Amino acid sequence: MTPEVQRLERLAERLRSVDAVMPSPGAKIRGWNLVLAAVNQSASVRSRSHPVRRLVLVAVAAAVLLVGGAVAASADSLPDSALYPLKSVVENARGALAFSPSDKFAYHLDLARTRLTEAEAMLARHRLDLASQALGGLNDQLNEAALVVQAEQLSDPALAASLDNRLVQAIATHDLQLAGLQGQVTNPAAIAAITQARDRAAQALQTAAKPASDGAKLSTSAKGPGTGASATPRPTPKH
Amino acid sequence: MQPLGKAASDDDRPLIERVRRGDQDAARILYERYFDRIYNYVYARLGRAEDAEDLAIDTMTRSLTRLDLFQDQGVAFSSWVYRIAHNATIDHYRRQGKAILVPLESATLPVSADPSDLAVDQLSNDDLREALRALTDEQQQVLILRFFQDLTAAQAARIMGKSVGAVQALQHRALGSLERVLHGRTNN
Repeated sequence: MTPEVQRLERLAERLRSVDAVMPSPGAKIRGWNLVLAAVNQSASVRSRSHPVRRLVLVAVAAAVLLVGGAVAASADSLPDSALYPLKSVVENARGALAFSPSDKFAYHLDLARTRLTEAEAMLARHRLDLASQALGGLNDQLNEAALVVQAEQLSDPALAASLDNRLVQAIATHDLQLAGLQGQVTNPAAIAAITQARDRAAQALQTAAKPASDGAKLSTSAKGPGTGASATPRPTPKH
Repeated sequence: MQPLGKAASDDDRPLIERVRRGDQDAARILYERYFDRIYNYVYARLGRAEDAEDLAIDTMTRSLTRLDLFQDQGVAFSSWVYRIAHNATIDHYRRQGKAILVPLESATLPVSADPSDLAVDQLSNDDLREALRALTDEQQQVLILRFFQDLTAAQAARIMGKSVGAVQALQHRALGSLERVLHGRTNN
C-alpha cells in the first residue's frame, strides 16, 4: 500500500467517525405532520382517479355514446330494422313532451308522414306485412290529429279551424302519395291495403268535423285490418 | 458515528404498496426509516440545520406522495429517495444563487503543500464537514454516501447512477481533494 493510499485510508476512517447530525425532535414531528397531510391529500386525489372508477366512468360514457348513437340512428330506421323498437320509444317520449293542442297536432302529423315513408320503403322491399302496419300507423296518427281538432272545436273554434285546414292539406298530400304508390304496385294485397289506407285517411276528416262525443268513438273504431295489435313492434305513440 | 437506523432494503416494497393504497402506518415506517438519513445527507451538503430540515421534509413529502413516478424496476426506493434529496439540494443551491462548486482540481492550491503533514486525527468534525463542502458536487456526494451514510460502493453507485468502479475512482479523487483542502486550511 503506497503512502498516499495509507493517508487516504486514514482520512476515510476519520470521516466515518464524524458524528451524524440528527434532526431535532420538533423538526421530525413537524416533518411528519406535513408529510402525513400531503400523503392524505395524495391518496384522496388517487382515489378520485382510481383505475376502477375511471373504468366505470369510461364504460358509462361509452354506454351514453352508444345509446345516444343508437337513438340517433333509430330516427331513420325502418320497420325491418333492429333499431326500430327504439324509434318507437323515442317517438313516445316526444309525444309525452307535446302539451299544447298545436304541439300534439303537429306531432301526430309528423308521425303520419313518417309512417307513410316507412310504408313506401316496405312496399319497395316487398314487405307487405310491415307496409300494412305502417299504413295502419299512418291512419292512426291522422285520426289522432283529427281528435285534437275535434277537441278544440268547443274550446277554441278558431284554432280548430286552423288545425282542420292543415289536416285537410296533409291528408290531401298523403292521398296523392298513396295514389302514386298504388299505381306502382302490382300485388293485389298491397293495392287493397293502400286503398283501405286512403279511405281511412278520408274518414279522419269526418272525425275532425264531428262533435267530441262521437269522435271519441271513432278514434277507437277507426282502426281497421292491419292496424290492430301485432306481434311485430310498431311505433304507437302515447301521450 | 451514531447509527442512522436501518439501511434501505427489500422491506420497502410491501410498505410502498401499502402507501400507494393510502396506508398511513406504512408511510410512517418509511418516514422513520429515511428521514434521519436524508436530514444527515442534506445537512452535510448545506451545513444549515434549518435548510436541512426543510429539504429533508420536502424530500420525504415528494418521495411518499409521488410513488406513481417510482418504478421499482432496477432502482431501489432508497436510491430514489437519495436522488430526490440530491436534486432538492441542487435546486436549493440554485435558488440561493450559489454556483455549483468548481472542481477542486481547478482551484488554487499550494503546490508545495505536503499532505503527509496532515494530522487527520486532530481535525474537528466541523473542519471536516466544512472542508467537504469545498469539494465538487459529485465528490461531496460520494464521500457523504460512503462515509457519513455508511453505504456500500454498490449502493452509492445505484444512487449516483454510476458503475461501482466509477464510484470507487471518484471516491479516491474526492479523498485526495479533501486532503488537499484540509492541508491548505491548516497551513493558512
